[in-house]
Amino acid sequence: MHLPHSTLKQEFVKKWIMGLQRCKFSNKKMSIFERKKAIKLSADTAMASARKGLTCWSRALISNPDRPVPTTTRRASSACKKIVKRSRRIRRTAKCGAARKGQITRSIAQCLVRKRTQILKSLIPGGEFMNEVCLIEETLDYITSLRVQVDVMRSLASASARASEPHN
Amino acid sequence: MESKAGTTETRSNITASDGDQVAALESLQFTDEFHRLILAPPSDNATSLTALLELPASRALELLHSPASAKLIAASASSFEALKGNFLFPSNTTLIDQAARSSVFAGGVNNTNNKSNAPETTSNNATLNLEKAVKSEPAETESCQPLVSDPAVEKRNFKRKDREKKAKGSTKKSKTAANDSSDGPEKLPYVHVRARRGEATDSHSLAERARREKINARMKLLQELVPGCNKISGTALVLDEIINHVQSLQNQVEFLSMRLAAVNPRTDFNLNSIFTTESGSLPDSNFPSMVMPLIWPEVQVNGNKQQHQQQWQFDALQQPVWGREVCNNYITPENSLLSYDSSANSVAEVELFSSNGQWTTNKQRCMQIKLKMEL
Repeated sequence: MHLPHSTLKQEFVKKWIMGLQRCKFSNKKMSIFERKKAIKLSADTAMASARKGLTCWSRALISNPDRPVPTTTRRASSACKKIVKRSRRIRRTAKCGAARKGQITRSIAQCLVRKRTQILKSLIPGGEFMNEVCLIEETLDYITSLRVQVDVMRSLASASARASEPHN
Repeated sequence: MESKAGTTETRSNITASDGDQVAALESLQFTDEFHRLILAPPSDNATSLTALLELPASRALELLHSPASAKLIAASASSFEALKGNFLFPSNTTLIDQAARSSVFAGGVNNTNNKSNAPETTSNNATLNLEKAVKSEPAETESCQPLVSDPAVEKRNFKRKDREKKAKGSTKKSKTAANDSSDGPEKLPYVHVRARRGEATDSHSLAERARREKINARMKLLQELVPGCNKISGTALVLDEIINHVQSLQNQVEFLSMRLAAVNPRTDFNLNSIFTTESGSLPDSNFPSMVMPLIWPEVQVNGNKQQHQQQWQFDALQQPVWGREVCNNYITPENSLLSYDSSANSVAEVELFSSNGQWTTNKQRCMQIKLKMEL
C-alpha cells in the first residue's frame, strides 16, 4: 500500500494531465474560480485514482469530490482546555488517591484524543466511517498522496511562471 | 482429536501430520470470525482509545514488524477468499461449535495428561522470548483455566491466539518468529501476545491489547512521516501535529490550484489552439510545450524508427539537465527539440486531431517515457 514516491508522482501526473486537458478542451471561457475549481477537482480525482482504489479515502474522494475548504478548527482544543481546568479543580478539591488521579488524567487524555480523532475524521475524506486503525492507515496514505500532489502542482506552477516570464 | 487441537502454542511439539485438516479447520474458524466481525462490528471505540495510552510503543513496533502479523493478514485474506463461496453462516457456526467443543476437550485432555510438558514448553517459549520479547515476565498458566470452559469463541477478535486459548487454556504466548517457523508446514501464522504479569488475560483484553498495539505501531509510522513529531510524546499532541500537517497540505493544494488557474490564462487558449489549429504558439507557455513533446514523438506517420529516434533524442538531451530541477526539464529540452523540428509538429497535429482514438494510448506511452526521465 505504501508506494514509492516517484511512481505515485508519475501516476498522478499522467492522470492529472488527462483530466486537465479534457476539461480545458470542453469549456473555453471560465472564470478564474471555475478554473481553479476545475484544476483542483481534476487534481484530486487524479490523485485518488492513482491509488487505484486500494484505499478508502480515494474511493470516498472519487465518489464525493466536493469537499468543504478546511477551516482552522481550534474549537476542540479550547474545549479540552476547559475540561482540563475543570478537572484540575476537581483534583484539588477531591481527596485523591493515586488511582483516582490516574483515572482523572486518563480520562482527560481520553477526551483530548477523542476530540482529535474527531477532527481527523472530518479532515480525511470518508473518514467518518472508519475505526481508528483504518483511520491511521488512511491518514498515512493520504498524507503521502497530498505531498505528491503539492509537489507536482508546485513544480508545474513555478515552471509555468518561468515560462511566461521571458515572453512577457 | 489432539491434532485438531493444534491451534495451540505448543505447536512446536505437535507434529504437523494432520496439518491440512488443521489448516482447513482453522480457516473455517477464520471465516466465521470474519463473518461475525462483519455482522457485529466492534463497538469498543472508547476502550481502544484508552488503550492508546497504555502500551509501550516498542512492543507495538515488534508486533507490526513481526512476520507473524503479515502472514496473519495474508493468510486470513486468502482463507477468507477461498472459503467465502463455500460456506454459509449456519454451517459455520455449527462447525465452530463442534470445533470448539472438540478443542476444549482436547485441551482439557492435554492439560491433564501433559502437565509435565507444559512447563517445558513454557520454558522453551521463555528462552525464545528472552531474545525478542520486551518483557520477560511469565504469565500464569493456571490463571486462564477458566478460559477452557468458555466455548463462546471469539467475540470480535479474529486473531489466532483466542482460539489457542480456548483450545489449550493457557495464555502463555510468545511473540517469536521461531514459533512461526516451526509452524511452517501448516503455514498458518499466529499473533502471539505476551500476557503481562497482573494483566487480565481474557479474550477481550487480549484483543484490546492487540488492537492497541496495532494502533500504536501505526502512530509510530505517522510520527516518522510527519516532520517534527518525533520528539513529541503523547498521543493527543501527536494527533494535533498530524491534523495541522494535513490541514496545511490541503491548504497548499487549494492555494496552488488557484495559482495555476491564475498564472496563465493564455494556457487555456494555447492548448485549445494547439488542438484545433495547426499553428499553435509552440514555445510560448509551459503547458503546451509540455504537451507538445508528448504528442510529438507519438507521430506514427513516419513509423517506429522516428519514434525511437525521438525518444533517443529525448534521452540525450535529458542527460545534461538531469541535475536540475524538474521544472527546468519541462522547458529546456522541449523548446530545443521543438525548434529542431517544427515541420513534423504541424504534421503531427493534423494527424492526431484526426485520429483521436489512437491518441490517448500514444499519449500515455509517451507520458511514461517523459516521466521516466523527469521524475
